[in-house]
Amino acid sequence: MAKVRILTSSAESSERWEAQLRKGALEMAALASLWQGRLYGLEIIRALESRSSLALAEGTIYPILNRLKAEGMLASEWVEAEAGHPRKYYSLTEPGRLRLGQMAQAWASFSLGLTNLLQPVLAAQEACQ
Amino acid sequence: MIAENTVDVYLAELRAQLGGMTLNEREEIVFEIAAHIRDAMEQSGASAGTILARLGPADELAKQYRDGLLIRQASRSVSPVALLRGALRLATTGVSGMVVFFLGTFGYLMGGGMVLSGLLKPIFPANTGVWFREDHFVSSGTLFPPPPAPVHEILGIWYLPLMLVLGSLTLLFTTFAIRTSLRISHQWKAKLS
Repeated sequence: MAKVRILTSSAESSERWEAQLRKGALEMAALASLWQGRLYGLEIIRALESRSSLALAEGTIYPILNRLKAEGMLASEWVEAEAGHPRKYYSLTEPGRLRLGQMAQAWASFSLGLTNLLQPVLAAQEACQ
Repeated sequence: MIAENTVDVYLAELRAQLGGMTLNEREEIVFEIAAHIRDAMEQSGASAGTILARLGPADELAKQYRDGLLIRQASRSVSPVALLRGALRLATTGVSGMVVFFLGTFGYLMGGGMVLSGLLKPIFPANTGVWFREDHFVSSGTLFPPPPAPVHEILGIWYLPLMLVLGSLTLLFTTFAIRTSLRISHQWKAKLS
C-alpha cells in the first residue's frame, strides 16, 4: 500500500515538474512561433502543438502574448478576416527578435549541457527496454 | 442558441473578472477571446463547451491577465504598497518570490524605523541615540526607558541627520531591489501561466 502511494506521488511530482518545464519554455516558444511572420492566437497554439510537443491549455497563451506585447517584444494589429470577424495578429518587434535570439542561445547551451549529463541515464533506460 | 448563451456567460464572467484594467484593455481581451472561440469552433467543429474547457475557467484566465498586469505595474512603481503587492503575488509562485517579499518587508520596516527614530531625537533626546558602555556598543534607537547607567550616548543631535540619511538609503535600496526582482521575474519566466 505504502509502495503504491510512493509510486503515485512520484508520478504526480514528475507530471508537475513536466508542467512547470512546459510553462517555463512557453514564452520563448510563443516568440519562436512568430519568427517566420505574423500569426493570430489560434495559429500560434496550433504551431506550438504541431511543431513542438507543447500541448497546453489554450487560455494559457493569451495572457503571455498580452504580457509580451506590453513589454514591447510583440506588436499586434486587428485584421479583418475572411471568416467574417477580425483577428488579432501578433508579430515580433526588433527587441522581441533580439530577446528571442538571446533566449535561443541560452536554451541551446543549457539543453546541450543537460543532454550530456543525462546521457548515461538515457543509455541505461534504453538498455532496460 | 444554448452554445451562444454559454459563450456569452463565459465572456461576461471574463469581463467582470478583469478589474483593474482600462476599459480598452478589457474589451480588447474579451474581443480576442471571443474571436478565438469562433475560430476554434469553425476550424475544429468542436462544441462551445469543449472549446471553453480548453480555454480553462474564465476566472482563472482573468487571473493570469491580472497577475501579469500587477507585477508589470509594480515593477514600474515606487509605491511601497504596489511593490509589496507585486512581491506578494510573486511570493505565491515560488521560494524566490517569498524571499523577495520578506526581505522587502524587512527593508521597509527597517528604513521606516530608522527615519522615525531620527525624527524622534528632538522630541525624546534622552531616549534616542546610540549608547556605549566604555568601548562596547550597548544599544541604539528610541528606547523607553533608555539603557541604564553607566552608558554614554555618542552621536547627540547628529543622530537625526544620520538616521534620516541611513533610513532613506535603506528605503531606496529596498525599492530598487524589489523593482529589479519583479522586472527580472516577469521578463524571464512564464511562471504565472
